[in-house]
Amino acid sequence: MSGRHRDGQPTWRERLRRWFRPPRTLKTTRIGRTYLVVTIGVGLAALNTGNNLLYLVLGFLLSIIVLSGVLSERVIRDLRVRRILPDGAFAREPFALRYEVTRKEGRAFAVRINEGGGVLDGWAWIPTIAAGEPVVARADVVAPRRGPLKLTEVQVSTFFPFGLFEKTRSFELEDRMVVWPRRGFSCEPPDADHGQHTGDHGNQRHRDGSGDVQGLRELADLEDARRVHWVKSATAGKLLKVEREREDRRQFTLKVKTREPGDALDLECEETAAITHRLLADGNDVGLEADGRKIRPGAGPGHEKRILSALAMLGYGEKKE
Amino acid sequence: MRLDARRSLRVRMRDFAAMSAFAAVALSGALPIAVPAIFALAFIASLLGFRPFAKQPVLSVVALLIMAVALFGLALRGQLDLVIAAVSFAALVTGQRMLSEPSPATDQQVLLAALLLMAGAAALSADIWYALCLLSFGVFACLSLGLAVVEGPIERDEELPVSPVLRQVSLGVAIALAGGIAFFILFPRLSWNVASRRAGPSLLGGTTGMTDRVRLGGGGDIKTSARVVLRVAIEPPPRNDRLERYWVGRRFDSFDGREWRGTGQPRPPRPRVLIGETRGATLQRIELLPAYESRTLVGLAQPVYFGPANALNNGGSTAAQLEQVGDEEVRIVEDANAYTYVVHSRDDYPLLEEDAVKLAALTVLPPSIDPRVAQLAQRIAGNETEPEDIANKLETWLRSNLSYTLELPGEVDDPLSDFLFNRKSGHCEHFATALAVMLRTRGVPARVVGGFFGGEKIGERYVVRAGDAHAWVEAYSPIRGWMTFDATPDDGRGSQPPAMMARLVDVYERLQEFWRARVVEYSIIDQWNFVRELVKPPANARSAGSKGDDDPDALPLTKTPTQAFVYAGIAGLLVWILWSRLTRARKKVHPAADFLTALEKKLIAAHLPYRLDEDIERLPARLAKERHRLAEPVLRASRRYLEARFGNRPLSGAESRKLLDAVTPPPPAQ
Repeated sequence: MSGRHRDGQPTWRERLRRWFRPPRTLKTTRIGRTYLVVTIGVGLAALNTGNNLLYLVLGFLLSIIVLSGVLSERVIRDLRVRRILPDGAFAREPFALRYEVTRKEGRAFAVRINEGGGVLDGWAWIPTIAAGEPVVARADVVAPRRGPLKLTEVQVSTFFPFGLFEKTRSFELEDRMVVWPRRGFSCEPPDADHGQHTGDHGNQRHRDGSGDVQGLRELADLEDARRVHWVKSATAGKLLKVEREREDRRQFTLKVKTREPGDALDLECEETAAITHRLLADGNDVGLEADGRKIRPGAGPGHEKRILSALAMLGYGEKKE
Repeated sequence: MRLDARRSLRVRMRDFAAMSAFAAVALSGALPIAVPAIFALAFIASLLGFRPFAKQPVLSVVALLIMAVALFGLALRGQLDLVIAAVSFAALVTGQRMLSEPSPATDQQVLLAALLLMAGAAALSADIWYALCLLSFGVFACLSLGLAVVEGPIERDEELPVSPVLRQVSLGVAIALAGGIAFFILFPRLSWNVASRRAGPSLLGGTTGMTDRVRLGGGGDIKTSARVVLRVAIEPPPRNDRLERYWVGRRFDSFDGREWRGTGQPRPPRPRVLIGETRGATLQRIELLPAYESRTLVGLAQPVYFGPANALNNGGSTAAQLEQVGDEEVRIVEDANAYTYVVHSRDDYPLLEEDAVKLAALTVLPPSIDPRVAQLAQRIAGNETEPEDIANKLETWLRSNLSYTLELPGEVDDPLSDFLFNRKSGHCEHFATALAVMLRTRGVPARVVGGFFGGEKIGERYVVRAGDAHAWVEAYSPIRGWMTFDATPDDGRGSQPPAMMARLVDVYERLQEFWRARVVEYSIIDQWNFVRELVKPPANARSAGSKGDDDPDALPLTKTPTQAFVYAGIAGLLVWILWSRLTRARKKVHPAADFLTALEKKLIAAHLPYRLDEDIERLPARLAKERHRLAEPVLRASRRYLEARFGNRPLSGAESRKLLDAVTPPPPAQ
């Protein structure tokens, strides 16, 4: 259930849920739990013995608890958070998610930021935020699986002042991002669409062929010496290699056969992503056919992102989220 | 501040917090001597950065377990108090953690163990030093915790400003302490038992204000002591803050030429001792403090009844038995740190029929007495035969012809002759001895009384100091009975501490008294009185004609407690509103904000308000898109505002006016 009508307005259930949700959540830390146990122990001892010095200690301990609530509220009350999404992210691989945090007045301390709803594992830590000075913090987060990812809220927590409690405030901050399938492994690449490869195929620096001459450059180690321009090399006194436009570049169209969403489809997407990356790194053109849609073979980082995005969305149909 | 410096600061604060907590325990004087020694070593090693347990965690834990077994073994065998064993173990755990690898988690463990020490110290000590230690512990522990929290889960070696953290945490600690006091006052006391352990003689040490003999010779060091040895609540309360009265402790009837002793035999212990008629007597509730260090009961002259007494020890308060020793003294049988008891006193002596044998014993002189003493007495008394007149003459002569001094170095064979004929100066014991012996030479039964002279009101009670210790003489007349005579000059009766010391001790005693009365002995009755005072209507709330609470014609109160709470709530609300206004007025407003406000007013005047989700950054873009004629000046003004607000380029008044004037729309065409 999305929690919203088609016109973007929240449903009554969503509104009810929001209305009942407490503005802050409070959790005790490990030391906080021990502290509470000691406080209860001192309280019981004071009540049992009537020892006023124990009452004094108890008063101080209780006062510290109240103070923790007040000071932590001061920290998270006046904050503004902006999420800065990365260009891309792979499932089950850490990626950087950045948050820009500002406050108008006062200082904030010991702030932890993470995504609400448990959609991403990981958090960002900001030791201190001064008023009027935006702070950008990086969180190394991990998305559990590929596909569209809806980010609805950012949780800002603080352990200030004594680390006994973790007070959390949620900011409603909606964003969408696509998590690409993990490039975990790849098997042998499929056959090329046509022709055989020639030249130093497989070399990452391969950029020659029989097209128009693009330029000359010094021959690198382990490169094919057949493309050396001997005349120019003799003039320059070093081995120069001819660089041409694509001619040796082969074309691959990868096909994803599985249609039903599930582990099999996820596995095939991961494999396809891995092969895509490998083929593109080898200097080939790669296309994709999946779910009745086709991406024409191409090369370059932008093209790889298009293929990865298409793979990420496989199985999610028309539903874009 | 870099990570190393921050860590060092945090660890030092942690160590000082632990030391403060341990000091609270150690000052109670209850710990085995090995524990303070071990803890002191751990503290010094930690301060020097030497942490042997960082690489030997298992070994240190094993050593700790062995110590735990030893401590609790002693406790089980009854050789060590269980609370003391527990506190000792907490101290050892704190030391072990201090010498381990420092980290925020280790620091928290040290502070928690130190907190247990503070709780343990509350059970062991009732001294004012505890307050100081608690304050110190609270401050250092909170600062250390605050620094640890800002470090975060992973310590990073990056520059971090520490002073804002310390500033805010310090403010928080101050508020927490104030809150702690409020909690202490208002937290409902569900137990009537005030089970604080008694303090020992404290850092200032004990005194021997009352001994079982008076030996002539040596200086009168005790007269310079300002330590309070007993506290008294007197009913009916005297009018004067300084009492200047005798407090009888012990009578001495046998003199051997050098020292006075008692010869009475103890009677069977009883809970109460009745000596004489109590009608019209002054009641005194006396607390003999640990500094007194004696079991002899004291009362205003002349005590006629000693009531129920309690011995106060680390185990709490227990009823004590009283033992009367002849006519010399009444003492408590049980040995304890301190005692409380009730005594009734009358101004006159109880009518005792003294038998002739007893009176004859009070005229006995030692064989070694210098014959010049009797000759001197004869010369002073002349032909007087009435004991009272003889005593008056001798008393007057001694006061006027001999001087008071505490400087009596060296030992002499016959201190009385030395006092009367050579040195001609001495302290109260010399004067009392001289008077008693001279009276005996004249056949008047006389004895020396040891006790105190003075009494000073501090707080609600009177205190008597060790320096108030005094000796005087009681003489018997067949007509008048027992009478009191004091040959010591007036300037030698009360305590004579050095001025500065007296002032310091006085401040300390006043603080101690305040601490004891307001904190240690704070009870549900005090709490009830406090709340009653809070809701008590002002005096003018009653009718002018009413005479008091008990007046049946008094009009009912004009306000009920409920109304008082409502009024208090309203008053609190008003204070809060006022405070909010004041703090809001003090908030710093960025100078550029005024410019933005003026610009927005201009925009509204030009019929260019913001649209939904639009702000000063987006408005110029829309105006440019619409090719509005004010697009350019609005763009200039908005850019300049953003530069002034966020780019650290201040905006001058003239420039502001120029920019705002440019935004003003031209007047409509006629």
